[in-house]
Amino acid sequence: MKKLLASRGAPWIGGTLLLLIAAAGLYLFTGATASVESKAPKAAAGDITYGPANAKLTVIEYSDFQCPFCAQYAPILASLRQKYGDQVKFVYRFFPLAGHPYATVAAKAAYAASLQGKFWEMHDLLFKNQKAWSASSDPRTYFDSYAQSLGLDLTRFHTDMEAQSTLDFIAREAAAGDKAGVSHTPWFVVGDKVVLPRNLQQFEKLIQDAL
Amino acid sequence: MTRPRRWVPWFLAAAAYLGFVISLYLTFVHYRGYVSPCYVVHGCEQVQTSKYSVVLGIPVALLGTVFFGLMVYLGIGLLTSSRAALVRTYKVLTFLGALAVIPLFLLQAIVLKAFCTYCVATEIVMLSMWVVSFLLTTPEQDGEQVEAEAPAV
Repeated sequence: MKKLLASRGAPWIGGTLLLLIAAAGLYLFTGATASVESKAPKAAAGDITYGPANAKLTVIEYSDFQCPFCAQYAPILASLRQKYGDQVKFVYRFFPLAGHPYATVAAKAAYAASLQGKFWEMHDLLFKNQKAWSASSDPRTYFDSYAQSLGLDLTRFHTDMEAQSTLDFIAREAAAGDKAGVSHTPWFVVGDKVVLPRNLQQFEKLIQDAL
Repeated sequence: MTRPRRWVPWFLAAAAYLGFVISLYLTFVHYRGYVSPCYVVHGCEQVQTSKYSVVLGIPVALLGTVFFGLMVYLGIGLLTSSRAALVRTYKVLTFLGALAVIPLFLLQAIVLKAFCTYCVATEIVMLSMWVVSFLLTTPEQDGEQVEAEAPAV
């Protein structure tokens, strides 16, 4: 060992080991589904939900309609809602990020749709078409077309979008998220743990373990 | 003239290692198909998902990983020897590295109007390596120094 350490090859072996340690550590780190205690408010009346009110397990998502990563998670969540929608209550909470200029107006459109019982349909459309309306100079025309395709009353949709109560609801949820330490979107709480599953399999395992 | 600075190769090796770790992290995020979050301090998502994050089908993060990995080994080479060819190669590579990160920084500032902390960190590492590489000396220069500083007999 002493001979090895004193040899001319020692720095090269040491350097290679450091690179390998970094690679192994980062491989594990990027695959981790970090889990810490949640400080987010529990699901309550007034929340936008999917699934049974008395479900054994609640999954809360703080999300931003203009966040590309939330859009990548949308199909994962859709699969989970379909598979576990009879056992798990899924809660959606607004957390529009300041860096996304249309996040709040998109949240307003989703909330206005929820008042006509079409939140999840609008949610799916907003995420599915995120690139189109995000790149547009007038995303409202897109939201109107989604509302029409869902058969919403357009006049009521506009009134609800502009209502102060809509903005207050979104602001209240974002403020509660802020207070709970939400630092990014999507931000998931499964049961009482904040988690960051990186794909459908990891998410499903977390739900199965908690059920 | 100053004496050869022993901290220079150590600094360069450590900086290259830091650059390697950050670039490798971004490479894993890219290749493992994992979804990363959007942070309150925005920027990373715009940069990581932009078309500029891939050059000719190769993620910029992977190019950075290979480059910094090579620089780690060259840094070890500088620690164990100071051959003129090695010093010259190191200086050329750090210059090329600095030349590559400047447009990447400008793309974030001007085109994307968003900064990714990890990307900016690697750019700072690269530029600091280039600046510090000016302090590297070849054995010939060290010899001249010693002669110049030696007292006349």
